[in-house]
Amino acid sequence: MEKQFKPKISVFHCINVFGDGEVLLPPERQDAAVEFIKLPCSSMIKDVFMLRAFEAGADAVMVMVCPEGACRYVEGNLRAKKRVGWVKNLLDEIGLDGRRLGLFNVPSEDAAVVGQIIEQTLSDLADLGPNPAA
Amino acid sequence: MIVGEQKSIEEIKKIVSPYKKVLILGCGTCVKTCFAGGEDEVAVLASALRLAFKKDGRQIEVEEFTVERQCEDEFVQESAEAIDRNESVLSLACGAGVQAIARRYEETPVLPGVNTTFLGVLEKHGLFTEECSGCGDCQLAVFGSVCPYTRCAKKLLNGPCGGSREGKCEVDPETDCAWNLIIHRLKMLGQLNNLRVYIPPKNWSGSGSCGPRKLIRKDHIL
Repeated sequence: MEKQFKPKISVFHCINVFGDGEVLLPPERQDAAVEFIKLPCSSMIKDVFMLRAFEAGADAVMVMVCPEGACRYVEGNLRAKKRVGWVKNLLDEIGLDGRRLGLFNVPSEDAAVVGQIIEQTLSDLADLGPNPAA
Repeated sequence: MIVGEQKSIEEIKKIVSPYKKVLILGCGTCVKTCFAGGEDEVAVLASALRLAFKKDGRQIEVEEFTVERQCEDEFVQESAEAIDRNESVLSLACGAGVQAIARRYEETPVLPGVNTTFLGVLEKHGLFTEECSGCGDCQLAVFGSVCPYTRCAKKLLNGPCGGSREGKCEVDPETDCAWNLIIHRLKMLGQLNNLRVYIPPKNWSGSGSCGPRKLIRKDHIL
């Protein structure tokens, strides 16, 4: 019997978007493993962090940043956007599919939006399937 | 500084594919500044290669190490133990660094991971422009410190071609006309008379077209 696919998602987020990601997920959400990694600002995200999350078995990696124009450090989210774009291209080149990585502008403490984004990612993963390099 | 660009993952995969243990060796000077081969780029490439090979069902051991400068033997020696542990070295230095490593470790395959591109400057964060061709016969004093050989598409040494528009080169409208820059700079310096100086055909004997060049400083050689 084919093993059931339980998606694993790594969420890197700025602490100014939300503090503790665990509380945003409904407790009944057992069909996915979502790991939250706090960053003091989204500009702290590095290319290698995203790649190592995939190496660690993530099927998708999400980077949640403040809305454009709302970064406490002015351009942190813009830098994060550039880096995510670069790594998406790298994932395409590797053959892992850049759609596994996404950057999302999230209003501060908007749990509903975070939930929707995760739901959408899980839905996308149903099409993309597991990380082929996991 | 020397400006280089990392090769594509596809090409690097092909280059390292005969080996099961690869050391990615970074260089912490020029190629670090142009985001091609410093410690961060070594980490990213190592991760990308592991993912790429694993996706293809192949296991490859990738080790990471960065030295301050691969073109100087004193720094190269620091990588000895890491090189011993691996079957091959993928150097992210310029071509000089690759060859310096190969010279020191002659039984180890040393492979290039970067295309060395030009001698340039960091114009702004993320933008590097070529400004020197290493011709061996520098005439920048006459040209107001703007090199027409490198920065003029036609390499004209005695004035502009007449094809530039609004200070941009007719060959590439994104590029400043070198002669426009020279004249502007000479005006600022009050040296417009330099334009009356006839520049004879360039002396190419020091340019490297007759084989590799050598610089000997006898006062530093024992």
